[in-house]
Amino acid sequence: MNTPYQILGVTEQASDAEIKQAYLEKVKHNPPDRDQQRFQQIHRAYETIKDEDSRLRYALFHWPGMEFDELLEHVFKPADRISPLPADEFLKLLSSVSIEQTLAKKIN
Amino acid sequence: MNDIIIGIDLGTTNSEVAIVENGGVTVISEAGKKILPSFVGVDDNGEILVGETARNQYLIYPERTVKSIKRLMGQDARVMMAGQAYTPQEISAVILKRLKAIAEQYVGRPISKAVITVPAYFSDAQRQATREAGQIAGLEVVRMINEPTAAALVYGSGPDEAKRMLVYDLGGGTFDVSVVGVQAGVVEVLSSHGDNHLGGDDFDRQIVEHILEHLRQRGVDIAANSKAMARVNRAAEKAKLLLSDEPYAQIEEEYLLEHQGAPVHLTLELARSAYEDMISDYINATLDATHIALKGAKLTASDIDEIILVGGSTRTPCIRQRLFDEFGFEPSGGVDPDLCVAMGAAMQAAMINGQDIGTVLVDVTPYTYGTSALGYLDGMRYPYQFVPIIHKNSVLPVHKSEAFMTHRDGQRQVDVEIYQGEDPDALNNIKIGEFRVEDLLDVPAGNIITLTLDLDLNGILHVSAREKASGKEKAITINNAISRFAAEELAGAKQRIDGLFGDDGGAETGSAAASPAAAEAGKLIKKAESLFETVSAEDREDMVGLIETISDCLSSGDDAGLREPVERLSDIIYYLES
Repeated sequence: MNTPYQILGVTEQASDAEIKQAYLEKVKHNPPDRDQQRFQQIHRAYETIKDEDSRLRYALFHWPGMEFDELLEHVFKPADRISPLPADEFLKLLSSVSIEQTLAKKIN
Repeated sequence: MNDIIIGIDLGTTNSEVAIVENGGVTVISEAGKKILPSFVGVDDNGEILVGETARNQYLIYPERTVKSIKRLMGQDARVMMAGQAYTPQEISAVILKRLKAIAEQYVGRPISKAVITVPAYFSDAQRQATREAGQIAGLEVVRMINEPTAAALVYGSGPDEAKRMLVYDLGGGTFDVSVVGVQAGVVEVLSSHGDNHLGGDDFDRQIVEHILEHLRQRGVDIAANSKAMARVNRAAEKAKLLLSDEPYAQIEEEYLLEHQGAPVHLTLELARSAYEDMISDYINATLDATHIALKGAKLTASDIDEIILVGGSTRTPCIRQRLFDEFGFEPSGGVDPDLCVAMGAAMQAAMINGQDIGTVLVDVTPYTYGTSALGYLDGMRYPYQFVPIIHKNSVLPVHKSEAFMTHRDGQRQVDVEIYQGEDPDALNNIKIGEFRVEDLLDVPAGNIITLTLDLDLNGILHVSAREKASGKEKAITINNAISRFAAEELAGAKQRIDGLFGDDGGAETGSAAASPAAAEAGKLIKKAESLFETVSAEDREDMVGLIETISDCLSSGDDAGLREPVERLSDIIYYLES
């Protein structure tokens, strides 16, 4: 599973300008006319982390490896089947979220 | 060697064709002229006329001549030409066929593929009509790109500096404005806005109205006299062009017509200031659209580094003045505003053909697409709330899904309606298609239906709805759903237009003289496609697979390879129909 940072080839500390530059470089080599899916993947990655707000949202609410349909499954699970997230799942989720670091950056 | 793909600017008043060769872009000229007036006519001998000759005959035989057909594209309209009714697609096809011939003459071999530009603000129906015109003309439209985007490609492919451009494209019939970023060899459209029915033709009409009013004051009404009207139209256009350079224009037409036995001469002076007053509402509308585009890109006027003027109507001096007032600098004029779009189309064609032109294009949709659902409007329960799915200025191609739920227990069907627009009340937007998903599972309310919208690089929308629990799916391409042309009608139109040119084959004989097996296969494909609407997703998938195999055999002339897939496809059809 590639994170948007990996797709664009930037670090999590990259600035808006660096991310934009990396995005354009990727687009240059993967224009929408050649491979639409690849382009969409790159564009989606860029939209996800293009500015401070997007990166914060990604860090807080991103659920690793979850696609749209799976998310639906979770949201619309019949009521009787709702059960709390298993502990290890919850820890996994928590560890993927770099809240302190992101928030610290935001506050400073 | 790849097939040549030509770039075509199919304009309201003028059209051009261009190709990339030896690393440069050439707008192809015919008899020294790069611009083909978008006029089509039929002469005394029933021969078809295109361009300059048709434009000249318009004065004498307006009833045998058609102009500004682009304004009718996408409408269910017919125009009369020499007593015959034609669709806008057919008339446009005549112009395309001529451009194709001009290009073939220039490169010395047949051409079958084109990139055609359309106004960014062209709707779905208008885009589909353009593609159909290409088909009728014997051109595969490999891509439709937006006109301001094409122009930006030309201006954006220069030295590698980052800049933000505003493309102000005012043509004969349409207005588009786009905000474009250029950086690192990528031309990125940030936002687009426009008006489908605003252009130089409207300016002409204001002058025509002015002339008619002047004549009416003298007790003369010429509205019913098509020849006199044609001359007034032409005089108005001439005056408009003159006013680009002069403060006054003298409008003179002698012997315009006879009125109560006496000849009527037209003599009228028009001042530029009076003309500018006449068109000021239109200019204001373009500037409002410009601000909407800037807002869409989250920028202000001071963020713009360069203004690009496209389209002949931008020669109007007050437009330059108003843009100067808004932005504080002069628009650039490096490339001829009449040729710029065709050049960009040729560059994109080369790029699609695998050539590296050093620049990559990323475009957006100027429209919001969505559906209507039970919801709230102004705090009240309302059955037609507009739910946007693809938002205005989304980067193309775009693929978006949204989940909806049935609202009644045991609801067995849903009607999906697709709208284009911005209004929270779906009924105030333009409905562009609808379909029904039937035989849903008999379950309590809350059955999930996933609606997926795909907007492709041509700006054409594909829609599918899927019942989550069963996987049952129904898909349509919006354009096919609202297009007035079935495949057979298109073929018929093509024959008709070919007939007009007096070539019942020519370059096309190769495919026309197909073997009986190939002809049979062609019929079978049509039949299979006509069943698409009614069959299950699974059957359709099988059929599409077989059709692809058959088409491959057809295009490579492999008659032996046809047998097996043709048999299987006819088996499926037989099974479906019984």
